[in-house]
Amino acid sequence: MIGFVLGRSPLHRAHPYTTLATAAALLLGAFALTRPLEVWLLVAAAVAYAAVGGVLRASARTALLLSLPIWVLLFVLHGLLGAEPRVVLGPVALSAPGLARALVLGGRVTAIVLGFLTALAATSPHRLVEAMTADGAPFGRAFLLASTLTVLPRMRERAAQILEAQQCRGLRLGGSPFARLRALGPLALPLVLGALAEVDEQVLALDARGAGGAARRTALDPPRDSAAQRAWRWALLLLVAAAYAWKFWRLGA
Amino acid sequence: MTALVTLERASFSYPGAARPALAEVSLELAPGEVVVVTGPAGAGTSTLLLVASGFAPRVVGGTLTGTRRIAARRCGLVFARPWTQLTGLCSTVRDEVAFGPASLGLPREAVLAAAARALDLLHVGQLADREPTELSGGELQRVVVAAALALAPEVLALDDPAAELDPEAADALYAALPPLAASGTAVLLATPDLQRAARVATRAVEMADGRVVASGAPAEVLSGTEVARLARAAGCPPPYPIDAAALVRRVAP
Repeated sequence: MIGFVLGRSPLHRAHPYTTLATAAALLLGAFALTRPLEVWLLVAAAVAYAAVGGVLRASARTALLLSLPIWVLLFVLHGLLGAEPRVVLGPVALSAPGLARALVLGGRVTAIVLGFLTALAATSPHRLVEAMTADGAPFGRAFLLASTLTVLPRMRERAAQILEAQQCRGLRLGGSPFARLRALGPLALPLVLGALAEVDEQVLALDARGAGGAARRTALDPPRDSAAQRAWRWALLLLVAAAYAWKFWRLGA
Repeated sequence: MTALVTLERASFSYPGAARPALAEVSLELAPGEVVVVTGPAGAGTSTLLLVASGFAPRVVGGTLTGTRRIAARRCGLVFARPWTQLTGLCSTVRDEVAFGPASLGLPREAVLAAAARALDLLHVGQLADREPTELSGGELQRVVVAAALALAPEVLALDDPAAELDPEAADALYAALPPLAASGTAVLLATPDLQRAARVATRAVEMADGRVVASGAPAEVLSGTEVARLARAAGCPPPYPIDAAALVRRVAP
């Protein structure tokens, strides 16, 4: 699951800035925290974030699928090739500091991916544009941000259609890794060229509907913000600032 | 009557193209006209629409020579593929249609009223609360035309608007054009569908290799319809009837 999912969760009903600010705090926090326990507390926060959004199962599954190869790479790289001392785990002796490093890096990746997927699933592009429009943001900026949220599901949908069409025309996906790699050509080329052609038409269509005009857009249904949500966003900002201050203080010490 | 668009010996080349897509085209478009532009693939019909409605070279780039005067305050543009013309940011058909007027910065009530009027004109008011992505191709294309009309364009350029539609949806779309023209909008319609075009055209233009090769009354220009071919084969003297109604009038006046 990658992309917006209709829902009635507190995260879906929250102001889009709140949803995105929480995901951004997870991202920034991941780089501020340096110890395994801290990072894994952040992963727990990302899990809670996905649970509040009602998308825990789907987001966690996709996040694990995406981060698993990185986990394997990190454990091989840091666990096997890391510095002394070593801990014996079954038949292998792994580097203790390497394992700690892998746990930190892997935790960071997991928290970031889970936070990003949850934000994608719980942030309606329409509500985000309405919120930015109400704040007087230029349409181009709002469109750019909202398009970022919709580009992955759109590409995935298009890729599935191309895949089906190419399979109907005899494309085989199985076989050796080389054969699979060769099959990427007939998929990637129409995907990219089709996307470019569509972008051309969409630019014209948006321009024809006044998107590039100088007038300030009218927000038809701006999402409601609240003092509590604004306070939450400020608190996140302060937390992130504190985390970085603590990180740099420890580095200095 | 004052022309809304005037082209005098207008030539247009796309960026990097070796030869012009439009060569020395002269055309006038007056309020209330439905001008059908036809020709084989590569004839320049789509380019003529882009140039006449002011989107080329402003949006697509390229070079325009000759004279172009656009007196229309606003021009609408609709392509063949409805899904590339969606903003991708609206969760209901109403919002999608209201996008244009909202871009003009009109008050909220005026925006919603314009959207409702346009939806009614295309007989798709019952779809207002549906998600655009859930609609059939025919419904979606009518929504896209409604979205263009919501801006109250004085010139509406339609580039093969029924290419992706089933016969019933295509009939419904074409049926909406004469009332639209009667309200003062000039319609410029590029299509290979001569049967339907013959029913709505007040004037026809035939193109080949970027040039206008024939221009005048539909009965004189659209001689490629099935009915016209049949009439010709049956030894009927020109101008040939281009649709069934004209044939019946000729046979039984």
